[in-house]
Amino acid sequence: MASILEIIFELINNMLQFFRLGKKSISNSLNIYIKSNTGSTLSIELDPKWDIKNVKEVIAPKLGLPPNEVKIIFAGKELDDSITIEECDLGEQSILHAVQSRSQSKRSRPLSESVANLQLSNISENDDSSSTIEEQLESSEEKGIKNTHFYVYCSQPCKSVRVGKLRVRCANCHSGALTVDSDPSCWDDVLKSNRITAHCEETRCETGPVSFAEFFFKCAEHTSQGEKDEAVPLYLIRPNISHVPCLACTDISDPVLVFSCEERHVTCLDCFRQYCVTRLRERQFVSDDRLGYTLPCPAGCENSLIEECHHFRLLTSEQYQMYQRFGAEEYVLKAGGVLCPQPGCGAGIIIDTDCKRVQCVGGCGVRSH
Amino acid sequence: MQSLKAGHLDASRWERRLQKELMSLMKEPPPGVEVDGDQAEQNLSLWTVHMKGAEGTLYEGESFQLQFKFSPKYPFDSPEVTFIGSNIPVHPHVYSNGHICLSILTDDWSPALSVQSVCLSIVSMLSSCKEKKRPPDNSFYVKTCNKNPKKTKWWYHDDSV
Repeated sequence: MASILEIIFELINNMLQFFRLGKKSISNSLNIYIKSNTGSTLSIELDPKWDIKNVKEVIAPKLGLPPNEVKIIFAGKELDDSITIEECDLGEQSILHAVQSRSQSKRSRPLSESVANLQLSNISENDDSSSTIEEQLESSEEKGIKNTHFYVYCSQPCKSVRVGKLRVRCANCHSGALTVDSDPSCWDDVLKSNRITAHCEETRCETGPVSFAEFFFKCAEHTSQGEKDEAVPLYLIRPNISHVPCLACTDISDPVLVFSCEERHVTCLDCFRQYCVTRLRERQFVSDDRLGYTLPCPAGCENSLIEECHHFRLLTSEQYQMYQRFGAEEYVLKAGGVLCPQPGCGAGIIIDTDCKRVQCVGGCGVRSH
Repeated sequence: MQSLKAGHLDASRWERRLQKELMSLMKEPPPGVEVDGDQAEQNLSLWTVHMKGAEGTLYEGESFQLQFKFSPKYPFDSPEVTFIGSNIPVHPHVYSNGHICLSILTDDWSPALSVQSVCLSIVSMLSSCKEKKRPPDNSFYVKTCNKNPKKTKWWYHDDSV
């Protein structure tokens, strides 16, 4: 499905390039896809300095609509005419949704930006943060990276922990042509389903126009590879806005890992790695029935097990492989299985109850009784 | 972004933490506690702490020496803490070889604890003692135990002393 889309994108892109010949050339342009709610997709070159009004004027004729009837939706918000492209945190090959206005809804700034001002960086189940918006802006300015509020594990193509972007789609039809009724105010709003209502503009959506928002994350450090390009949110990694020292090395670092215990203990990422490696080598991870092979807060607090195991991707790839192997071995042993005794094999085998002779079939082929 | 990269672990991370602890313990020591700063600075993994029995307790006028051994896994791994020297306090949780039965030194250790908090716990353990005596299993334990008290599977049976 994705490849068909890509071919279509490319075809349209080529056609458009043909038309574009002779038009004014744009320096420093962004290649953006425009998706309409009738199913068509356009690829256009945009100048980051353009505002949304310019964009509407360019795309309206191609959609066969007057510019004032076009709504541009990005990241859960209808964009106001006066916002410029560069303000929107749009990456190369991002998708903007253009729909025919059914009604005049409240226009605003894109989710990523309004949310940045909403302390989402610091969100927790019971947000009692006293940090101000100014402090947050200051901290992101210091690092010189815009919207460094989320961290993700990007499995393709980066294969590492990256800065992420929050995006939203319709929980029912998965279309991005969706405007949220309110901004998420805590991590539960983002991670749990059906917490934020939204307005889906996709004509084919069965539940639309009233629907729920489904949030997801993209890696901010590679060019978007289409709508299926997602990353796992590492929501325990957060900017250290209130300058909390690491409980192990007592240095103040940024970002930090905030455990889910009531005390919200904080470690820096290096100490987190050291903690994992120390526990891993001693096989002192916890085998939890629901969460798998994981760790609690280093201070041993209750209800502090790390639920998203992708956080262990902060380890090096060899360490992560060790984590995966130990986790799998613990699981086999817990399920009543055995491990192949041949050195270097160690394949897990679950034995039938009436079986007396065991052969390691998938692994090394050694027989044992 | 530097810190996001999973590079090699900083080998001196535990030493940096110990250096900080040493500085604060030398600058603002808890009452009756004094760390041998020169020795610790020469070898950060082995500290000697001098401790005075608090006034108004059974140990008033006595002084003790505590030895702290740290591994590179510190603070994720607890320090090895024993009484050393000629005067081992006579206490129901202190064996005559210097080993201490105190849960924060093994099971209840947390990296949020420190040398200072261990010292304070030991001071308070001594201060709350009602009767100077050795643990009931002292002679058997001292003969059979491992040199490292962390290898002992302790039973923390008495929280009151």
